[in-house]
Amino acid sequence: MDTLSQERASFLATVAERIVPEVGTLDLNGRTRFFQIIDEALRARSPAVRRQFGSLLGVIRWLPLLRWGTSFERLAPERQHRVLSWLMKCPSRTLRQGFWGLRTMVFMGYYGQPETWESIGYVPRVDGNEALYA
Amino acid sequence: MPDASFDILIVGSGAGGGTVARELAPLCADGVRIAILEWGARLRKDEFTGREVEMAHRLFFESGGMLTKDRAMTLAAGRAYGGSTVVYTGTSLVMPRRVAERWGVPGLEWDDIERRSAKYAAENKVHSLPPDLQNDNNRLFAEGCRALGWKVEQFPINVDGCRGAGVCNLGCPNLAKQGTHRVQLPVAEQAGVEVITNAKVERIAEGECFVTVRDPGFGEPSPWAPGEYRVRSKVVIIAGNAVQSSALLLRSGLGADLPALGRYLTLHPALILVGEHERPLSNTAGHPKSFYCDEFLESAGFLLETCMYYPFTTAKNLIGFGAEHSQLMKVFQCHQQILVLAIDPPRVDNRVTVDKRGEPVVDYRLTGGVLDTLHRSMIAAAEVFFAAGARRVHVPAGERFFIGAEERDRLEELIPRRNVRPGQISVSSAHLMGGCRMGADPGTSVTDVWGQVHGYPWLFVADSSLFPRCSEVNPYLTVMALADRVAERIRDRREELLSS
Ligand SMILES: Cc1cc2nc3c(=O)[nH]c(=O)nc-3n(C[C@H](O)[C@H](O)[C@H](O)COP(=O)(O)OP(=O)(O)OC[C@H]3O[C@@H](n4cnc5c(N)ncnc54)[C@H](O)[C@@H]3O)c2cc1C
Repeated sequence: MDTLSQERASFLATVAERIVPEVGTLDLNGRTRFFQIIDEALRARSPAVRRQFGSLLGVIRWLPLLRWGTSFERLAPERQHRVLSWLMKCPSRTLRQGFWGLRTMVFMGYYGQPETWESIGYVPRVDGNEALYA
Repeated sequence: MPDASFDILIVGSGAGGGTVARELAPLCADGVRIAILEWGARLRKDEFTGREVEMAHRLFFESGGMLTKDRAMTLAAGRAYGGSTVVYTGTSLVMPRRVAERWGVPGLEWDDIERRSAKYAAENKVHSLPPDLQNDNNRLFAEGCRALGWKVEQFPINVDGCRGAGVCNLGCPNLAKQGTHRVQLPVAEQAGVEVITNAKVERIAEGECFVTVRDPGFGEPSPWAPGEYRVRSKVVIIAGNAVQSSALLLRSGLGADLPALGRYLTLHPALILVGEHERPLSNTAGHPKSFYCDEFLESAGFLLETCMYYPFTTAKNLIGFGAEHSQLMKVFQCHQQILVLAIDPPRVDNRVTVDKRGEPVVDYRLTGGVLDTLHRSMIAAAEVFFAAGARRVHVPAGERFFIGAEERDRLEELIPRRNVRPGQISVSSAHLMGGCRMGADPGTSVTDVWGQVHGYPWLFVADSSLFPRCSEVNPYLTVMALADRVAERIRDRREELLSS
């Protein structure tokens, strides 16, 4: 990934698994595609947005320190879920919006891969009308 | 900086630009030089892959993820040879008479809009899909509405040779949709109109435009090499969409003379809702949008429509994350989807401005009234899902991720108004309108009733930014009708405009 450091990228993978649990089951190619899609999307954004994205990951990582005295990746999955749920509805609009953006990136990285579509039953075909009679 | 010279320049090739080009094209036979400058690319047929992320990148501004300043809404607008008509669904409605009356623009009669809309409906082969080509997702919507005693109508659509790929909003891989890229632009080009793709108009001034051509790495090469150009023209017609047209005029310095420029933007805010059925449905196969319900348009200000989006778009429009979110995504085949569209009022403070680089900033606030409307619309959509037999529904403002069929009598309680908060539900818009609204008063409008910018006899606007307020229904035919008027006026004033 060009837009995130190796460390940030691996932390992103940890957070991503809470957002889309199936991210954890991606094989090496799937993981590579996941990061590629996010990387490309971030590259298309302004440097300011890229910085904000990196900072948000930092916030998520250290936020649990206040409550549980440890970083996000050391928490049990259910506590990690609670941290993200709090962010999603937190009083700070900036954080809420940041989380919204992060969620969007993760969904894009996972569901944007045509390789994942079959597993959710999305099988588009150019001759869809034929399928109506199948 | 290389120079080029034309008599008439059109900025943008979408519903407005494509129409005006087609209507002015006969002038080419008399030696009038006309060109379209289009920011987007002209894709090759094999580049319409139907793959979501790839097509969003190729066909939309900011991959379809442009945000309002407060980040509460996502705006989708096409950037391509054909503009948003390449990615629209092709539902073709004539704006109702009562809306034209609400617009109240002196000199703009509904009969005129209706007549011109009918012309393009015919040209774009608008018709109703036969029942055997309506998929379950659409049929269930109609059945649900009817079971509730609500009026449901079939959408006329503009396809020719539709094979039901179901990915209209990613550009039709079968080239069936009759957008300007398939109908009006080829006619215009045949007659001699030049189309310069990958060409962003940076600024305009009387008699000239400044243009940058870039290679985006896909599509047919632009006829012009990458670089900066100064393009001379006697007449300039702006048709860049409701956000980009205002932005272009603002960065060209017209804001000082035109107090209404960029203002009164309306976005027809939309939400996507999902109902889950017990059994797999035909939902992604076939045309995605066959029906709408306007039962509540007058009384509560919203429209319900069928829709069917793609995995990433669907995922980001659901609220929440984790196991429940995944569960719903995994049964994509069991999804019924409904789009709601809310009428938003024209507010002077809902506006396009430009940042230091001249890029648009959409400063738009969802009013309490619109949030009330969205709230009512979510409850109505949930009722349709249950009436159609859904086992559970996902509503953006629901107290819980799922509301089960056994709870259908408690929708008011389970979808509380307090949860309808900007930034907490996923609101989007694909119907951008206003910013260069037409009208008689230069204090509250930007152009006259024929699209000429007040005080600038050589400058016209011919796109969705002309709308003085929301069209209330899907807008593209109205855009074409207004653009047709602009072309007519330019033809009538041809001697004066093109002399010297
Ligand atoms: C996903 C989607 C689905 C839709 N579905 C429907 C539907 O089913 N029915 C309906 O009635 N309406 C629909 N609409 C809305 C409809 O497509 C638009 O209202 C209509 O196309 C607007 O026309 P326009 O000319 O204003 O802009 P557009 O059609 O968007 O065209 C503007 C063009 O101008 C170009 N441009 C902008 N700025 C510049 C610049 N500075 N230099 C050069 N070029 C520039 C852009 O690249 C673009 O190609 C849909 C829209 C979207 C995005």
